[in-house]
Amino acid sequence: MSLDDSKTRVHESRAVRMKEERALLSPQDKDALIRRHHPDYKKEAYRTIRIGPNEGEQTVHELANLLEGESPIASEAISLSPHHQADLLIIGGGGAGATAALTAKGAGAKVLLATKLRLGDSNTVMAEGGMQVAVSPEDSPVRHFLDSLRGGYMKNDPALLKTLVEEGPEVAKWLMDIGVLFDREEDGNLSLRGGGGSSKPRLLRCKDYTGLELMRVLKDCVLNEQIELLEFSPIVELLTDGEGACTGAILKNLDNNQYIVVQAKSVLLATGGIGRLHIQGFPTSNHYGATADGLPISYRAGAKLTLQDTFQYHPTGAVYPEPMSGILVTEAIRSVGAQLVNVKGERFVNEMETRDAVASAVIRECAEGRGVETPAGRRGVWLDMPMVDLINGEGTLAHRFPNMLRQFSRYQIDIRKEPVLVYPTLHYQNGGIQINVDGESTVRNLFAAGEASGGIHGRNRLMGNSLLDIIVYGRRAGRAAVKRAAEVSLGKLTLQHLDRFHEAQKKAGVVPQAVSPMLFPDYAKKN
Amino acid sequence: MSQFDAQSALIRIEVDGDAHPVPEGITVIQAMWNIGRPMLHGVGCLGGVCGACPITYRLPDQLASKTGLACQTAVREGMAITFIPSDVSKKAIAPLPKESPTQKTLFQYYPETRRCTACRACTSVCPQEIDVMGGVRAAINASSLGDLSTVAEKFTACVMCGLCAAVCEVQIKPHRAGMYARRLTGAFYPKEATRLLDRIEEVRSGKYASAWNRLLSADDEALSDYCRSEEALQGLAG
Repeated sequence: MSLDDSKTRVHESRAVRMKEERALLSPQDKDALIRRHHPDYKKEAYRTIRIGPNEGEQTVHELANLLEGESPIASEAISLSPHHQADLLIIGGGGAGATAALTAKGAGAKVLLATKLRLGDSNTVMAEGGMQVAVSPEDSPVRHFLDSLRGGYMKNDPALLKTLVEEGPEVAKWLMDIGVLFDREEDGNLSLRGGGGSSKPRLLRCKDYTGLELMRVLKDCVLNEQIELLEFSPIVELLTDGEGACTGAILKNLDNNQYIVVQAKSVLLATGGIGRLHIQGFPTSNHYGATADGLPISYRAGAKLTLQDTFQYHPTGAVYPEPMSGILVTEAIRSVGAQLVNVKGERFVNEMETRDAVASAVIRECAEGRGVETPAGRRGVWLDMPMVDLINGEGTLAHRFPNMLRQFSRYQIDIRKEPVLVYPTLHYQNGGIQINVDGESTVRNLFAAGEASGGIHGRNRLMGNSLLDIIVYGRRAGRAAVKRAAEVSLGKLTLQHLDRFHEAQKKAGVVPQAVSPMLFPDYAKKN
Repeated sequence: MSQFDAQSALIRIEVDGDAHPVPEGITVIQAMWNIGRPMLHGVGCLGGVCGACPITYRLPDQLASKTGLACQTAVREGMAITFIPSDVSKKAIAPLPKESPTQKTLFQYYPETRRCTACRACTSVCPQEIDVMGGVRAAINASSLGDLSTVAEKFTACVMCGLCAAVCEVQIKPHRAGMYARRLTGAFYPKEATRLLDRIEEVRSGKYASAWNRLLSADDEALSDYCRSEEALQGLAG
């Protein structure tokens, strides 16, 4: 069926679909759907990690190659006399890094913040849907905890999750105090919306610009506080004292290719996600620098990873028009009524299932021949957005989702009148560097926060829990690092962890497949 | 990766004076990769919200040049493109005031805002189609905190690319002033979010302590019972 014919069916079936009630899947059916179609269950995409703290465990080929990879520093003689000294070196200028910087600086620490691109270039800035905080009287942190635990298949670290939900209200207040403008009700209360897998509405938001709003304010604060910044200077290797503790890092100035050696009492990896590895060939909603740099770097220094085998594929990445492919259509749009529809104009899943289930259902429709093919040869299903205005009143899309409306209108698609085509897009790394409630990894003085860390979200993160995660754990890591700075002095700078890693490589017969960190995807055509 | 999978027709674009054939139907950023430029400055989120990639471009037979974000603009036949460095304007060190802000608070840090000549250049270059000049005029005419919230509202979609400041003939930094108006409006919001404050108090007073004790000492089976049953959850809260 042609794209236009199929689109006509979507319009024709709308009136009937609007009345259709569809129950959530039973736990058994949901489990079967996911096992059959979710990319996390595709065996050939995975392999065993052969060395390091997670030896013998599984992850995707793309990540395994980086974890076992070669340090860019290994073959070079490099002077380790420090160019900078700090109480806390923060790697990453997204929400978690900026929050930690503000917290630590506020407590009197000397902070240096280094980032691969500019301050604020991150996945944070792109978050659309909101931030989960249990605010309403019918809701509670306990309910938030259980919803998240259910969403994460009980694999969440309970202590980390409890801290996340319990500090939610407090950090929401902190954000409002520094000037974040969440949407409000007439009476001044925070406006709340529902999300997949959440039993009560608890998404705080700023239209569909929530991450942009948070990042703009945090960035403004970091600049006001005159926190020392090194932009276009990603981390390429950690430094350790030879006895297992982290003592600093080597950065690389991308504009002159010079290495920068930083000696620090503690290092926070807030390096973000993994989308630009295009795991299993998926497009991604992530920013340009989302190449999981913190994982291989911390791994070589001996940090244990957790849940490194599970990723979130957001169900609704645009696949048409072609220039928009991979760009996210926020889940919030489904929470106000937009339905997913196959080539025949039929609905096939309750849109408020958790992301892994909805993504699996979309993949199933396409795999079984009920997808729609785009002119560029991609497949997808319809997201019927005009329903939103029909259900909630004209003007809802324009008022609540101005970003979506503008992005599609740039390509002459009016989402108030036409459905759009979507397919799952690689969105989030569910696991990461294992941390405790202070954000410290299994390597002393090495902290992690935000998407780089793992354990909070189990095997599937609920919508709105990552913006909360970066603020709660950014603050906690910042505080813990300040405390640590009072207890330790600047340590010896060595690369002994690399020697040990090389020995392990040799012993296991591992020939590195890649240099890691990857820093950027290799998109440029070689002429 | 998948960027160049499509077998589409080639069109010609011009970048900094050199002509290049590129596939039709891709963004300007993807076109840069296609002509062999890896990109470092001038690329960021690739989703139209970080403001790293402002460009100016001219189309054949069009007198006026246009502006846009390179990740949000599709290439067109004969398009001549120049990248503009993302925001380089110096930000005023503008902390939040102790007392409720007025127009003076804003102008203390961004005094040049008053010089607006209403030329509308800022509005015409905004890739987010913000009524930038309207925001600046609203700031000039503001007499109350409520008026500042009008300014704030105008800049909701601002990605801080700084194109407005780059074209202002009197060196106003509308995006920065707008950002400050937003923070003032947020921090001094006239009505309290009482439910949030109540919840913070509940948490502080230990209302959930016994529920946490039970949850954190529960084994997996008990936990999954709590997850499955609304009744068990209600029992926890009580």
